[in-house]
Amino acid sequence: MELSEVLQRLVSTATKAFVAGGAAVWLLDETGSRLTAAAGYGVPQAFLQQDPLPLGNSPLAQEALAQGAALVTSAVDDPRQAGLPVEAASALAVPLGPGGRPSGILCVYGARPHQFDLAQAGLLHELAELGGAALAATHALADLEQIEAGKSEFIRVSTHELRSPITVSQSLVRTVLKGYAGPLTDKQKDVFKRISGQLNSLESLVNDLLDLAASQAPELAASEEPVALNSSVARAVLLLQPRAEEKGVTLNFRQWRGELAVWATEEGLDRIFVNLVGNAVKYTPADGEVTVSLQPAGQEAQVIIADTGIGIPAEAAPHLFEEFYRASNARTFNAVGTGLGLAIVKRLVDQFKGRIAVVSTEGQGATFTVGFPLYRPAK
Amino acid sequence: MAQKILLVEDNPDMVVALRMPLEASGYQVFVAASGQDALRLVQELDPALILLDVMLETSTAGFQVSLQLRSPDPKSQYAAYRHIPILMLTAIHTTTSLRFGPDEAYLPVDDFVDKPVDPDVLLEKVRALIEPADLEADHLTE
Repeated sequence: MELSEVLQRLVSTATKAFVAGGAAVWLLDETGSRLTAAAGYGVPQAFLQQDPLPLGNSPLAQEALAQGAALVTSAVDDPRQAGLPVEAASALAVPLGPGGRPSGILCVYGARPHQFDLAQAGLLHELAELGGAALAATHALADLEQIEAGKSEFIRVSTHELRSPITVSQSLVRTVLKGYAGPLTDKQKDVFKRISGQLNSLESLVNDLLDLAASQAPELAASEEPVALNSSVARAVLLLQPRAEEKGVTLNFRQWRGELAVWATEEGLDRIFVNLVGNAVKYTPADGEVTVSLQPAGQEAQVIIADTGIGIPAEAAPHLFEEFYRASNARTFNAVGTGLGLAIVKRLVDQFKGRIAVVSTEGQGATFTVGFPLYRPAK
Repeated sequence: MAQKILLVEDNPDMVVALRMPLEASGYQVFVAASGQDALRLVQELDPALILLDVMLETSTAGFQVSLQLRSPDPKSQYAAYRHIPILMLTAIHTTTSLRFGPDEAYLPVDDFVDKPVDPDVLLEKVRALIEPADLEADHLTE
């Protein structure tokens, strides 16, 4: 929930609970010396849009922050009426948030004098405490999002820097391996092949990192639109068919005849299915089978990728979508892999409001089901 | 006489990786490390082919070089060099699923070579671009 929504609920609840004329939340700025009206209910729009108020000009807020509560029984001849809406005949204010460091005040306004008494401050405190907790959580979330964005940017920049030397090294090694730098002995050739293999693993790691960073940086992503799930899945199957044949794995595809449109980006869907079908082929030994099928299911378009491969150990299942995680049997079965593929898949599926589930028994294959809400154009 | 190839590449190690297979195949390789150098050397050498990296002093300097060389303006100082085939070095195909190809207006090059470079693929593309036109000339001088 957005911060503004949290505060809006707080003031409407307070107004109703106190049968008040209205309520408002005032938030302190970073210096703690000015108050800004952040949400209001039953108060004029102009009251909410006023300039930030120096704390010194609001004796009611000062008293609430200092004493834990402030009560104005009759605004007419009370000097603390400064900062109240003109319509308010009485008011009760308490600090918002934790005792030591309040983030503002919550104030209810009465249409009549003597509408509140200090005994009611306890109830208002409870509301303010809940509001403060929600406020703190929202702030913490915003901080986390900022850290996350910084992390993505760091990965993006550093992968560009990392990729260049890898590319150059790979080109140099290929030039040597193909004999353009002079003849090689068998032992030298063996060494260069090993270097080449290591560079290829490094390259795929860097590419996966870049993919992951790209999927986290919304400003880089293409805008979403209705996309035919059928073509994306068909492309992935087509792309992986040669690899499956090479390995002696049968790759079956059960296409759905009607178009299944989902709200996504084509590139994002391609990444999801190249990853999932690629994994199925990768972790299925020779003579095994991978079956990809597509179908509508209620409000969803479903893609099911079932293989007869090595499966997923029970202890690995909860960690499957974590970055850099690789199941123990995956590491033994296939040395090349970064543990980023499924993290990228999960991120993209979430981005497209889809879901992904996996059912597996170790040694008996795995079945991944991906569902996206079916896109229906508005009539 | 050996055919001249102008290699526009600012990474000295990449130059080594590309120069070896080209020289082993009998081409004479000249190197420009910046877009400016490239435009100067094209006029000086009139090479048979330009092997052009996209990323030079800026991440798209290579595009600028190709746009200048292929400028449709008849009064362009590079008008005499418009016919020289350009082979562009790029990592774009291997790192994204973007498909892009030569485009007369936007990206006037003849073909792409993916980085990391496979020397056999490079030589195949170089031959495909310069041999058909120059074969006749070679026969005439023989």
